[in-house]
Amino acid sequence: MVNENLVKDVVKEPYKYGFVTDIETEKIDKGLNEDIIKLISQKKEEPKFLLDFRLKAFKKWQKMKEPDWAALGYKKIDYQDIIYYSAPKQKEKISSLDEVDPKLLETFDKLGIPLTEQKKLTNVAVDAVFDSVSIATTFREELAEHGVIFCSISEAVKNHADLIEKYLGTVVPASDNYFAALNSAVFSDGSFVYIPKGVSCPMDLSSYFRINSGDSGQFERTLIIAEESSSVSYLEGCTAPMFDTNTLHAAVVELIALDDASIKYSTVQNWYAGDEEGIGGIFNFVTKRGKCLGKRSKISWSQVETGSAITWKYPSCLLLGEESVGEFYSVALTNNLQQADTGTKMIHIGPKTKSTIVSKGISAGNSKNSYRGLVKMGTKATGSRNYSQCDSMLIGDQASANTFPYIKSQQPNSEIEHEASTCRISEDQLFYLQSRGIEFEEAISMMVSGFCRDVFNQLPMEFAAEADKLLALKLEGSVG
Amino acid sequence: MEIIEKIKTNKSDDNLTEIQKICLNKLQSSPLPNPKSELWRLSNKSKLSNFLDYSVNKKDSKFDLPYSKNSQSTIRLIIGENCQIKLIEKNYSIQQLSEDELQKYIMEQISFFKQNENWSDLLNLSLSCKDNILGLKINGSKIPPIEIFSHASSNSFNAKTLVIFLEKNCDVELLQVNLGKENSSLSQSTFFCLKENSSVNHGVVSYGENRSNLLNSLNVIQQKNSAYNLGSLHFKFNYARFEISIKQSAGNAKTNIKGMQITKKDEQISTYTKIEFNGPNGFLDQINKSLADDKSHAIFEGSIIVPKIAQRTDASQLSRNLLLSNLAQIDTKPQLEIIADDVKCKHGATISQLNEEELFYMRTRGITLTDASKLQLSSYFQEIISFIPISKEKWDLLDKLLNEN
Repeated sequence: MVNENLVKDVVKEPYKYGFVTDIETEKIDKGLNEDIIKLISQKKEEPKFLLDFRLKAFKKWQKMKEPDWAALGYKKIDYQDIIYYSAPKQKEKISSLDEVDPKLLETFDKLGIPLTEQKKLTNVAVDAVFDSVSIATTFREELAEHGVIFCSISEAVKNHADLIEKYLGTVVPASDNYFAALNSAVFSDGSFVYIPKGVSCPMDLSSYFRINSGDSGQFERTLIIAEESSSVSYLEGCTAPMFDTNTLHAAVVELIALDDASIKYSTVQNWYAGDEEGIGGIFNFVTKRGKCLGKRSKISWSQVETGSAITWKYPSCLLLGEESVGEFYSVALTNNLQQADTGTKMIHIGPKTKSTIVSKGISAGNSKNSYRGLVKMGTKATGSRNYSQCDSMLIGDQASANTFPYIKSQQPNSEIEHEASTCRISEDQLFYLQSRGIEFEEAISMMVSGFCRDVFNQLPMEFAAEADKLLALKLEGSVG
Repeated sequence: MEIIEKIKTNKSDDNLTEIQKICLNKLQSSPLPNPKSELWRLSNKSKLSNFLDYSVNKKDSKFDLPYSKNSQSTIRLIIGENCQIKLIEKNYSIQQLSEDELQKYIMEQISFFKQNENWSDLLNLSLSCKDNILGLKINGSKIPPIEIFSHASSNSFNAKTLVIFLEKNCDVELLQVNLGKENSSLSQSTFFCLKENSSVNHGVVSYGENRSNLLNSLNVIQQKNSAYNLGSLHFKFNYARFEISIKQSAGNAKTNIKGMQITKKDEQISTYTKIEFNGPNGFLDQINKSLADDKSHAIFEGSIIVPKIAQRTDASQLSRNLLLSNLAQIDTKPQLEIIADDVKCKHGATISQLNEEELFYMRTRGITLTDASKLQLSSYFQEIISFIPISKEKWDLLDKLLNEN
């Protein structure tokens, strides 16, 4: 055993983003019914097609059962005890960032998210979502010059209704699963990205999700469309305050890539994970799916999952276009009583499609970390290939690591390879590092970082540095 | 489904044994397995109902063994043929288990059964009558190889049960042959108990005929320092399931499994394995191969469970699959569930077709495509076949596999 006492002595770093912003918010009543959905739709001044979409999804949701197949245990969610719409009160129309409530700007500043336009140096356009609504999107003019549309989905509904109507729900249909149906019925805001033909997006786009109130759920929806020969890199970050109740987060992300387009979607998820006793924390039930519609299109998911009490998330790729490529790079770290059931689905439909899965799971404390994935070769996927690698690292003898890969092939002319392994911190390596004068904690964090290297290499630079730090921080005091 | 009707109505038949009554009772509440559960999700429903659509056969007709006795020393037993065995030699002894011993052991096993997971065993034990249960206690070393046959007669459902105790320090080679006749269903349940320091090379060859079905379940309990080697081969069944459950009850044991299933036409053959380590220092090396041709469907699901107590477990599982036709399907799902931290566990899975480069190489040397494919297949099969004891030289399995159909 790695030195256990040392571990217990290490000071625990509190969750940095656990503060609550004291701001006047507009909330609707708790509960979920058709009237609530109509109210949300009305508040957002939505066209009829969207209200119909919501109501249809709600009807389907009522008939569905909450899934129980994941290796997760949590107390039943009372869907009538959640506020489905909560927005910071501010002036009706905002023409520039100066009109945004300074308290909100301060919140995002505290989170290290540059909303003020002075911070142009960072060259990342941000859409900041606070509880149920998007409060600001930066760099819009610069993006508009290239024809890129980057705005909140509510604005897109008003200004680009045709695109929304054409694409919304085409990748993740309302009836896809329980949480996607719930999201389709009540989604409040999120980001919308449209990259026109032949445009390579001049800067990284980013959305930042912040849950502020303890009793409202967050249901955002992201839709990214990359037209022919375009490319975009999109980053997503999330934090929430510390509450001793569980907050529900059920998002849907849809990506569409046409001929020769490429979308890179990176997530660093650091929702509040609950305390050591497992009290509080976010329930994160997310449906993310990308559709490689066009020939030679590419969708790449990379994620670093460190937060949330419960993570239920399977970013997937539907590979329809000939020679399209799907990628999934994931690091999932669980500590204390966190539970994560995450993985991907690579559905090969078109010929000569390729997919790569690299998943690294690290479980420490009393946590549970499962990889669950599906690789499917359809009858037309001739000459397709998949390579999957799932490695788990166990830290301490109370944590559990599971691997559940489903592999299905109906095409003899395709190849699937899957490998998985489980290991622990190597005592030899640890001894080597310590004998060179490297502190115990630092040595562990170096080794974990090395274990995740394959995935970190895929992250955009600013995220990679953050992810590394985040992992070291999360593991502090848990290594044993 | 005649069998299910029988289970539902069969309440108070005085001829039933205590075990049959208990199992029937357990089955009556839900006579069929849950089709949505992981274990039965992929099972072909109409094939399963076809499996259950025969009337139970209690008395077997004589049947011809597929190959002649290899040597005089081999011990041959046929389940259901009222065989009496009591061999007490200098080095070893093979005796039948007494009724009490049998009942006690099976009852103990039933107490751990779960409705869905052990449905095949419950079905078997509720339908297998006294004559069709063979219990053996094997002791000693230098034991001649043992062959045990179980077969299903045409147009009937046959349930056969085998219970084997391997006493301490015992070492034996045992081949189990399951034969399915035309339009028949065979339910075979085997219970193996390996005491300390015992070791067995166990072969299972299941060979069907036109439209025969098989439900083969194997339950193994391994005590400390025991070694269990299993070589299995399933082919030519319209519908077959091979369910393996191995428990290393106190760790420190070795398990080697090499299995293969071959499906052609519209057959469906599946293998489910569950290996539990209930103590430290366990070892597992498992490989499962499938080959699916024509419109057939091959399934493999393997789970390895390593609880906290099973530190220093070393387990590996590999699923290798060949998909040879556009209409065939392969599903494979190797799983790891690990809580102990000081373990080495890995699994792998591949699905592909025959290696084109190798085929090309052989063809450039003047070997025809058919022969080249046969060569490749034979090397693919050989790894498994050579692991099956006794039959490997005498019963030419490889020829059967390559040349039939």
